[in-house]
Amino acid sequence: MKIVTIGTGMAAAEFVDVLRKEGSQDEIVMLGNEPFPPYSPCVIPFFLAGEPLTTVYWKGESFYRNKGVTALLDSAVAEVDAKRHRVRLSNGRTENYDRLFFATGARSWYPQPQWLETNGVFGFKTLTDMLAIDDYIREHATRRVVVFGGGFIGVDAALALWHRGLEVILVHRNTRLLSQMTDEDGGVFATRKLREITGIDVRLKTTVTDIDIRDGALRGVKMSNGDSVETTMLIVAIGVSPNSEPLVGNDRGVVVDETLRYDPHIYVAGDVAVTPHALTGEPAIYATYPNAMLQARTAVRHLLHGDATYNGSINTNVLKKHIDFPIISAGTFEGDPVTWQNQHLFRRVYLQNGKINGYQLIGDTRVSGYIYNLYCAQVRVDKIIAPILADNRGDSYYRSLMGFNQGQLG
Amino acid sequence: MKKIFVDYEKCVACKACETACAMENHPSHSLFGLLGDKKTQVNVRVLAVEHEAFPVSCRHCEPAWCMDACPSGAISRDSETGAVILNPDMCKACAMCAMVCPFDAISFKETHRARYGRDVAYKCDLCNDRVKNNELPACVAACHSGALSFREHDQLRRDQAVKNLRVYLLGEEKLPKNFELYRELRRKEFAQRSGEK
Ligand SMILES: Cc1cc2nc3c(=O)[nH]c(=O)nc-3n(C[C@H](O)[C@H](O)[C@H](O)COP(=O)(O)OP(=O)(O)OC[C@H]3O[C@@H](n4cnc5c(N)ncnc54)[C@H](O)[C@@H]3O)c2cc1C
Ligand code: SF4
Repeated sequence: MKIVTIGTGMAAAEFVDVLRKEGSQDEIVMLGNEPFPPYSPCVIPFFLAGEPLTTVYWKGESFYRNKGVTALLDSAVAEVDAKRHRVRLSNGRTENYDRLFFATGARSWYPQPQWLETNGVFGFKTLTDMLAIDDYIREHATRRVVVFGGGFIGVDAALALWHRGLEVILVHRNTRLLSQMTDEDGGVFATRKLREITGIDVRLKTTVTDIDIRDGALRGVKMSNGDSVETTMLIVAIGVSPNSEPLVGNDRGVVVDETLRYDPHIYVAGDVAVTPHALTGEPAIYATYPNAMLQARTAVRHLLHGDATYNGSINTNVLKKHIDFPIISAGTFEGDPVTWQNQHLFRRVYLQNGKINGYQLIGDTRVSGYIYNLYCAQVRVDKIIAPILADNRGDSYYRSLMGFNQGQLG
Repeated sequence: MKKIFVDYEKCVACKACETACAMENHPSHSLFGLLGDKKTQVNVRVLAVEHEAFPVSCRHCEPAWCMDACPSGAISRDSETGAVILNPDMCKACAMCAMVCPFDAISFKETHRARYGRDVAYKCDLCNDRVKNNELPACVAACHSGALSFREHDQLRRDQAVKNLRVYLLGEEKLPKNFELYRELRRKEFAQRSGEK
């Protein structure tokens, strides 16, 4: 059997790794539009912050050789011909497959296409982006950067470049940073803390509306509030769109069945896959590594043994990069809020029928694992949640297991 | 594979395990080296819960959720000892692992193993090198009350481990008389202290 992956990202690398671990000796071809060994996008900002490039290769630099796969790199897949079991690359080459693993992830979204062609404007998504940003900063001795977009990736970018010593202006349309990961109170708290810790110039309720180009290079940006800022570098991180065109002809992602298949021969996983939420069933793209990983493993099991089902994705996430200030969130912020907070920490869960519907834990990780488990297990916690949120010794889990309060897990 | 078991009824909260762990993980391997050193790494923590006290640490779960959550290739399992090992050279301190660990067994700080001038995640490594050398983990070797032991555990326990910590905290044998007395004392002390509040 010939197995082909489109993408060499986290889902595809996990898929191939586990295939081999499970003993598959099938022919494997990996197709990618970048020239690198599999890398972790979660790690690449640390390269910009000054850490060794080798650490981005999360499964080792010799992955392709070690796993005995043929890697066809630096060429994009243009089209999947599902009827003929054939993939066409943009360089004209074709590859046939018996099974296809489609994991093309997503790409940065730009408000205006010509921004992309401007020297000094970058996305913040791929290793290619990071290398280009690094080169540019060195070449131009860049001192100031405007980051447009204060979501997870935008804040990650701002912190990485702040860590590198640049003056950072972070522009975000919402009333608070990380507006998808937080509610109003939590987001305002997190934004204030991030400002305090880093001194990053955060401009809220503002967008970048135009860029000032001279001789094909960026000179400044204009903002919706009328301000102009001189800068030779702009990072655009206002959103991503799934690379689903080669398979379905649009960029809305690929809807898969409970075996993660699009058709009997094509598995889809990672940031391009539309999957149900494990607890609510809500179909969406749940773009974090643990979901990509679990999807890849489920696909392997189904491919090799024919009987695996995907139980759904979980939308937990944590932003703790370059500074020791974690912002954790999961679920949906609907229901009855229960809050505990002090000067340094903000913890809130939303309860529905006494069960955790969503939560934000900002400032430390102490109770996060316990709350994550209570959330996943969907047990009633209304009687015990207040002291758990106030727990500063990390003993609430042990208390419940020793029978000192109710609400045991499992 | 062998694991560290905690017989909480025997723990006298002396914290010898914490000190031994800190020394084992310190470049100087000495008590004096630890003094005043902010980078000291302690992977075990003696926790007091009501009148009970017991050391808590990484359980080297199977499957290990931290390992499945790490997007940096920093956590792996030693095939010989079964220990879940965290490599600080690859760790980005992103907290994906800590976010899912029910035991709160993963902490962050700039330890002596941190190489990039920032914090890293650290946790118990089961004293992997010692164990491979047929030695006991440092905390177990240091425990004088018999509360910590390093033993083979069967599949049944492994299955229950993730869900039920009590499996690890079993008092299996009948307690010697002096321990009974000690526990009685702690219970009373605790009752008294809570009454005073
Ligand atoms: C800066 C940043 C920080 C992040 N931090 C975290 C974090 O801390 N925790 C977390 O859980 N998640 C984080 N994520 C998200 C995480 O990286 C993704 O969820 C994960 O990489 C998804 O895996 P994937 O394989 O679907 O996509 P990717 O890893 O992005 O891989 C997609 C692959 O497809 C290839 N490709 C795309 N189009 C084509 C084409 N037409 N032809 C051929 N190849 C193609 C790409 O080259 C790439 O190899 C972060 C993402 C970014 C960008
Ligand atoms: S903190 Fe370190 S070990 Fe934990 S998930 Fe992040 S990179 Fe992996």
